[in-house]
Amino acid sequence: MIEVKGVTKKFGRKQVLKGISFTAEKGEITCLIGINGVGKTTIMNAIMALTPINNGQILINGEEIHKGSYEKITFIPDAITMLPQMKISDAMQFMDDFYDCWNQKRADEMLGFFKLDKNERISSLSKGNTAKVNLLLGLAMDVDYVLMDEPFSGIDIFSREQIAEVFTSHLIEDRGVIITTHEINDIEHLIDKAILLNEGVVLKEFNTEEIRENEGKSVIDVMREVYQS
Amino acid sequence: MSRYLKLVDFEIKRFLKIYLVLVGVTIVSQLLGVIFTSKNYLNLANEMMYKEMLSKETFLQQYGSFSFLQVTQTTWFVGPIALCIVTLLIYVFFIWYRDWFGKNTFIYRLLMLPTARLNVYLAKATTIFLFVLGLVSIQLILLPIENNILQLIIPTDLRTDLATAEIINSFYYLAILFPYSFTEFLIYYGLGFMAVFVVFTSILFERSFRLKGVVLGVLYGGFSLLILFSPVLIDGLILVNFFYPLEIFLLSCLMAVIVTAMSIWLSNYLLKNKIRV
Repeated sequence: MIEVKGVTKKFGRKQVLKGISFTAEKGEITCLIGINGVGKTTIMNAIMALTPINNGQILINGEEIHKGSYEKITFIPDAITMLPQMKISDAMQFMDDFYDCWNQKRADEMLGFFKLDKNERISSLSKGNTAKVNLLLGLAMDVDYVLMDEPFSGIDIFSREQIAEVFTSHLIEDRGVIITTHEINDIEHLIDKAILLNEGVVLKEFNTEEIRENEGKSVIDVMREVYQS
Repeated sequence: MSRYLKLVDFEIKRFLKIYLVLVGVTIVSQLLGVIFTSKNYLNLANEMMYKEMLSKETFLQQYGSFSFLQVTQTTWFVGPIALCIVTLLIYVFFIWYRDWFGKNTFIYRLLMLPTARLNVYLAKATTIFLFVLGLVSIQLILLPIENNILQLIIPTDLRTDLATAEIINSFYYLAILFPYSFTEFLIYYGLGFMAVFVVFTSILFERSFRLKGVVLGVLYGGFSLLILFSPVLIDGLILVNFFYPLEIFLLSCLMAVIVTAMSIWLSNYLLKNKIRV
């Protein structure tokens, strides 16, 4: 389980996170929802120890993040984390060299699923294909948790559909996923837990299935209620 | 292979093309320098002796014999050395900043590797050291080759032959690059590598605290200098002439080790707790 407990973060005078708390379980898709600038990416960076927090605690399976944690959790930011001059095959080789949890078989499978040419250079890829390579590099790791920051941001509809398809495939099965987005439409039916954020605080946290069954509301309905009130 | 060695290998490959260009420019420029400078001297000698009818002795009296030292004074020879030094100095900064800036944020990947973040720091430092030592070695190999080319062009009676050691000792900058004794080597290169660690730590201060980090980085650089020169300062200002020169030297060496250790420890702390993407 990923536990985020009372996390605060200030950038200069601006308080970006004001005591955020939530949990994300293995086998669940948790979605952090909010408009740009509410601190979604900061939370992701904080979980991965890519930005220091001012107060609070973040635990992964009961432990604070350490070097070994990166074999159990992976982060897929909205920009590709490989060098532009690398070919896709070079990027895959890099992952294979450094991560024990890299699964080459799964990487090859995803390469075929996304119809990517592994000899193509990252710098020459379209935005949609760059997002797919980014996803491939993250999901081909045998990890417990996957963090995705705005995976649908600025990409075409066909690439979106293909990426959304991944969420229902065995590539996600049994893993804990935290995803941030402000474009909920593509994955609304896939998420288990929604956390609505605004100005660095959690406005509402709910189980999407419960709210659908008990109140007959979609995530978008709840968003409307919360953000417009 | 350990992840540290893999990182060193990766960092070397990232700069290899530019590095090979630097090596190529150095070789070509210095070889051309030897040929052109020697030919110019030979042309002058021919002109003076065959057209102006100067005897060989008079010519040598007026113009002096030719030695490798004349080659080392030319831009052909010094230029590529300066180019390599400037490029590597810039690279000390570039090796970090390129991972943060630009279209692709490679620093995410480096910081999320399942290895101690200090390995990233040490791999970058090792890469710089290997590049420096590599260029110095190439220069050391080039000197006797260039000397032999000069001897092939200039006749024996018009030149003064110098051994490689003599060439190095009679040219100030080469004497720094190729110290005469092992102690000097430790001093020059030790100080250089210590400086790289201090600059790396200052960069990490900036990357951790941004604008505030610039001030912290500059202060850290100043503080490191203060510690390094503290034996000299104490001997000159507080305990006047208290230490023997050897004691000052040994204390300064100790201070350099302390500054290096402090830089590595601080960098490790910043990378683990304060760095941000």
